[in-house]
Amino acid sequence: MTEILTDRYEELREIVAEVLELEPDELTAEGEFVEEYGADSLRAIEILARIEKRYDVEIPQSELPKMQNLQAVYEMVAQHAGW
Amino acid sequence: MTELTATGAYDLRAIRAVLPHGHPALLIDRVVELEPGHRILATKAITVGEPCYRGVPAGAPGAAYAFPASLLLESVGQAAALLWLLGERGGVGSDSVLMLVAGRDCRIEGRAGPGDVLRHVARIDQVVGDNVFVSGETYVADSRIATVGSMMAVMRPRAAVIPAREPIQVR
Repeated sequence: MTEILTDRYEELREIVAEVLELEPDELTAEGEFVEEYGADSLRAIEILARIEKRYDVEIPQSELPKMQNLQAVYEMVAQHAGW
Repeated sequence: MTELTATGAYDLRAIRAVLPHGHPALLIDRVVELEPGHRILATKAITVGEPCYRGVPAGAPGAAYAFPASLLLESVGQAAALLWLLGERGGVGSDSVLMLVAGRDCRIEGRAGPGDVLRHVARIDQVVGDNVFVSGETYVADSRIATVGSMMAVMRPRAAVIPAREPIQVR
């Protein structure tokens, strides 16, 4: 899967990195939040909350299990925000 | 479920009807102002009788009586929990557990101790299902002594949090 370099993608990387307490350049597109960065389900909810606030979109919590890496988050947000 | 006293403050019976915390874990004495779903002003008076001062020797310096940061933040968290729960939720059900799970950008900027009244102002920033994000400040008189950039609290089914266990045998 190729990394899509857009401003929104980079903004999402910053949002996720801040929640996971990483530097943005430490967060790769396919690095698994749980396995590689030690995240838990609460971090996923924090990420979801920040995305909802930033982009003024409503994302059902049923999407939480999909949010396993940055690429998946981007695709999930793009779908709900109509990017 | 919630009751106002003649002074307009929520009394302890109303607070304890909403928060599951008992003595000595309950760290809010009074709700002074409440805008449901938005903002709360709640107070806690610190006394030298607090369990955190047990064991402080007679000759200890004044700094030994600084109210611990952990309890200060817990107290802010309880104020925020009241704000969340005094609204439409109405309390913590017996099958649910309320937890403070994250704090970000929290700063302790001053000291409080016995004789001081903590005045917590907390606001709800965002609610996502059974999760709430709040922010707030704590004042003693006119001085701000703590700032909470963001705190996250969650409500979860008891069964999902506390594993079922055999009752403890009492001999």
